Amino acid sequence: LSFFTDLVFEAGLVARSLGDYLSGGGLRLGITGLSRSGKTVFLTALVNNLLAGARLPVLAASAEGRIARARLDPQPDDAVPRFAYEEHLVSLDGPGRRWPESTRRISQLRLTIDFESAAGWGRRSASLALDLVDYPGEWLLDLPLLDKTYGEWARETLGASETQARAPLSADWRAALSGLDPEGDADEDAARRVAKLFTSYLRRARDDVYALSTLPPGRFLMPGDLEGSPALTFAPIPLGESDAIKAGSMAAMMERRYEAYKTHIVRPFFRDHFARLDRQIVLVDALSALNSGPAALRDLENALTEVMRAFRAGRSSRLASIYRPRIDRILFAATKADHVHHTSHDRLEAILRALTGRAIARAEGVGAEIDVIALAAIRATREAQIRQAGETLNAIIGVPEEGETIGGQVFDGVVEAAVFPGELPADPNLIFEGDGIARSEADNDWRFVRFRPPLTARGVHAPQIRLDRALQFLTGDRLA
Amino acid sequence: MNRRPPRPRAFRLDDARVAVDGAPAPLAPAAFIQSQRDPIPAAPAPVAIDKQERQVEAAQKSGLLSRWRFSFAALAWTGLAGLASLAFGLWTASLIERLFADAESLGLIGLVFGGLLLVGILGLAAREILAVTRQTRIAEMHVAFARARAADDRDAARRLVGQLIALYRDRPETARNRAQVEDAARAIVDGRDLVDLAERALLRPLDDKAQGEIAAAAKRVSLVTAISPRAVLDVIFVIAQIVRLVRRIAEIYGGRPGFLGLIKLARSIGAHLAITGGMAVGDSLLQQIVGHGIASRISARMGEGVLNGLLTARVGLSALAVCRPAPFAIDKPPGVSDVAPFLFTGGKEE
Repeated sequence: LSFFTDLVFEAGLVARSLGDYLSGGGLRLGITGLSRSGKTVFLTALVNNLLAGARLPVLAASAEGRIARARLDPQPDDAVPRFAYEEHLVSLDGPGRRWPESTRRISQLRLTIDFESAAGWGRRSASLALDLVDYPGEWLLDLPLLDKTYGEWARETLGASETQARAPLSADWRAALSGLDPEGDADEDAARRVAKLFTSYLRRARDDVYALSTLPPGRFLMPGDLEGSPALTFAPIPLGESDAIKAGSMAAMMERRYEAYKTHIVRPFFRDHFARLDRQIVLVDALSALNSGPAALRDLENALTEVMRAFRAGRSSRLASIYRPRIDRILFAATKADHVHHTSHDRLEAILRALTGRAIARAEGVGAEIDVIALAAIRATREAQIRQAGETLNAIIGVPEEGETIGGQVFDGVVEAAVFPGELPADPNLIFEGDGIARSEADNDWRFVRFRPPLTARGVHAPQIRLDRALQFLTGDRLA
Repeated sequence: MNRRPPRPRAFRLDDARVAVDGAPAPLAPAAFIQSQRDPIPAAPAPVAIDKQERQVEAAQKSGLLSRWRFSFAALAWTGLAGLASLAFGLWTASLIERLFADAESLGLIGLVFGGLLLVGILGLAAREILAVTRQTRIAEMHVAFARARAADDRDAARRLVGQLIALYRDRPETARNRAQVEDAARAIVDGRDLVDLAERALLRPLDDKAQGEIAAAAKRVSLVTAISPRAVLDVIFVIAQIVRLVRRIAEIYGGRPGFLGLIKLARSIGAHLAITGGMAVGDSLLQQIVGHGIASRISARMGEGVLNGLLTARVGLSALAVCRPAPFAIDKPPGVSDVAPFLFTGGKEE
């Protein structure tokens, strides 16, 4: 039966991609990243820069003056929420400016770029419809679940929760598990209790101080409408050696719900959104993980490797590989590059390269071009040099968010400050040394504070760092 | 780690103990803060390719790597060639028909000759196409090598070095050096170093050979011009020598220019001569005039000989520049004075 459902699923995908092809859909650019990596800011800044006709020197079409104008058009998918670009832009402006609210669901925006093509015979007008799809990176981590059975998933998740970094966080939940008999009769109360403890473990692990990343299932963190439904009321429970599940038992109920989660949440996302993307940018907040410690960095590395597995998920069948549009370019971007001095950008990039190295090494089957950069979609700081007691330090000046601390200094969110965040190691592999998590400031050689959005004059777009390079990589060939 | 890295720290800009940008500061500021206005480099430094290499690439583009472009001349030539081949086909057909009408055996012989002609033409065409693609591939390699070296791109360098090794596979005398480069390509060597290594091991011997050819040709040309009885004769000789030299150089670097390939190559060489202008690679015009002047003072014929020798050497050097599968990186491109020093000693040796 499973083979038959797979076949139907594949046929649906092919029909969909054929429909997209025939209706002349635009270039679908997926924007994702784990929470707080800056997806919304990236998308807002991208649209703003293009709409305002900003000078983007690395984007060839812009540098050669071939972009006539960009405009927002109605998106082709009527059932998908529109990306609230205007609201996000407003929230970034004015005295009460703050970073936009985080991505909780998928949203979409169509940006049409009118440009003159320089390729081929003579110049001619052309337009590129860019469908920007913004979705939480946690959903991406769900995709590898498609290839895992409940038994496999339960074993992996339990194993991960027992590691040194996570053990204290998951203690409550694991204690509850010990009183649970997988062979026993299905019990809704017990299931709810365990699922709740499991969810709260995931929530705590995502907290800023821990900054852990690999936390599927993603909808447990952002349940939306499905909160409390059986598809979200399950948890991994230890199975016996044989993985055999007795009908009517607790384990059977959990497995059923796990499968329901896959069928009703993961698969529709894969079919309706993910499988239709042409290009993908994955934003990574390496600085939070650096603040937290080596264990968080290793966790982030795992998450990025899983992300890469997501790009391979469902690529196994031959039919799919022929008919389905593939993601042919993937960009990993370390965001918030403005939080370090530009002399450290290379090191930040090297760290991201180290974090994604394993993922990229595995990417051979993906058939996509992959690049890694450090960027800041909105540059919230300017640069300065501090001279103190014979030391010269490369620093940044900005308004740190209220409550941020560094070196005993607590900020109020109003005053500008010159911040020296510390030196990133020249050898990126050093960051994985040790086993700490949620480290205090004194244990790290660096401390990255968050800054408020920059105050810009009305109608002027905020400066950016390498947003143009990202655009060139993702869309440059279509704007040739 | 010996040195403890500096601790993270922050200074409020409204702090009275901090001096900001030369604003009135307290007596003994705890720290000075100097704003920086330099723009952040937008991208890694643009790939730097030096002027000589750009000239070579421009020359290659106008000959070896030229793309087909629409022109009325091309249209006219195409039409003319088509008509001519139709006429030739018609003539052949009618000839064979007539032969058959005369005698069946004659007709069969005619048919056999016609078949031989066809096979020969097909073979020639195939060889031409192969030769042109080979020469084009070498020119593309040249461009790619320049990029890979400038960008220090290890993957590209590895791939290109593999191609270079494949190009010289049928040269037994390079076996040892090829093995050496192959080892290096397997080891962890940076892109730029790998390119340099390949150039040193594989191209340097070929450079020496090519320069030897140029020197010999220049010497022959200047000698024959000096003693030839008629001007027409030495013009023919010079042209023949130059064609032979260009061919030799292309062959030394692994190309096999046929007729079409030679025309494309000649275009590139002409473009390179025109682009580099009065400045021969690595030489000044002055030097050439001085050399010529001294020789012509000794004898007018001798002066002409030196001039023709210079011309040959310069064409040879341009041919070398456009035929070489990689740009000169570790070595300086040779100049006329490197390949034909005898031209500047005023013919005293000759």
